[in-house]
Amino acid sequence: MRAASLPGEVPGAHDSQSDEEVLSRARAGDAEAFRVIFDREAPGVRRFLGDLLRDDAAADEGTQETFVRAHQRLGTLEQAGKLQGWLFGIARMVFFEQVRRKRRDGPPVDPADEPAQADRGASPEAVLLSAESDRMLDGALRDLGEDRRAALLMRIDHGLGYGEIADAMGWTLQKVKNEIHRARLQLRRSLAGYLEEGAR
Amino acid sequence: MTHVPVEELEALAFGELGPGRAAAVAAHVEACADCSRELSWLRAEKALLARRPVPQTSHLWAGVVARLRHPRRRPRWAWRLAVAGAGVAAAAAVLLVALHPAPPVVPAQQAPVARRQPRFTIDPKTLAALDLAERDYGNAAKVLEEEYGRLRPHLDPELARRWDETLTRARAQLGESRAVAADDVNARMRVLDGYAGYLRALRDVVQAEEANP
Repeated sequence: MRAASLPGEVPGAHDSQSDEEVLSRARAGDAEAFRVIFDREAPGVRRFLGDLLRDDAAADEGTQETFVRAHQRLGTLEQAGKLQGWLFGIARMVFFEQVRRKRRDGPPVDPADEPAQADRGASPEAVLLSAESDRMLDGALRDLGEDRRAALLMRIDHGLGYGEIADAMGWTLQKVKNEIHRARLQLRRSLAGYLEEGAR
Repeated sequence: MTHVPVEELEALAFGELGPGRAAAVAAHVEACADCSRELSWLRAEKALLARRPVPQTSHLWAGVVARLRHPRRRPRWAWRLAVAGAGVAAAAAVLLVALHPAPPVVPAQQAPVARRQPRFTIDPKTLAALDLAERDYGNAAKVLEEEYGRLRPHLDPELARRWDETLTRARAQLGESRAVAADDVNARMRVLDGYAGYLRALRDVVQAEEANP
């Protein structure tokens, strides 16, 4: 296998093609096939990086860098079924490097490691129906540490399985479960806090 | 009442369960207030995230093409720095393991009660150091994998195939050690050994190709 040659600039999405077919063609050097992969996967990667970086320009830049690296490493991806998780693993690395460039004072710190209670009586229905729900969600995600936020979003927002998240994060399966569980408790606690704030 | 594991409720909420299991879990949820509430939260979280707009990305394609045509080279010191950093973290972890050795495992026949206990507890500082070392090794491996990915298209196909095999073997050994590692100091140390072996294999490839461009 070899990495795909330089893709052309002509868009050519063929949504009817399976991931296996497209990946196989992209690996064989088919530029249009790599464009199909970009069209299918870039929105998810951009959203993931936007949620991590919270900066539109940086997320755009990170998305481009993710696909450049993916193109160079296509030959190392063994299963098409793992494409999304593989791309998210690259995106997380790109994110990590961007953060390191911005602040060189050590790894991210999770603000609340031991969320004692999931929520303070708030109901999921109240959260969903709140006119402020988008702002609440934004704030609650911001409250999460970066790694924890990444793992939670991979699972809930992007539908990756626990094994894929473990591969992308470089964690054990048990750690993925623990971190997602803690992230979820923390998210709910934050959402409940925002609801209470809104009610006052 | 025994509750359904949250991962299974989650799979139900996300439509990932087969019809038989989905029906069984749904039946439990009907009768269990706690699981019903948990399922409502899971669905609410999913719905909150899903209703956000999908970002537009078609305008980013031109930038990808431009970068592939004019790649920015990563400086050669970058991967050496990453590997050195991982080595320092691993050395710190080894030192902590040496300073805080785990208590000896008591044979089951001498202390039957011990079978219900964890084998031993890792000192929290040691555990944190092992986590950090593993993460740094993982990051260093990613940097070297990217460097290899950059070099690979220029390799002789047969040589590239052999390097791929070597790296796949090293990755498999690492995967085996990671699969059995939990909070067991010895297993965690074997994971670090696995990472070190994988990094050595990657470093050898990159150094060999940099020496003979």
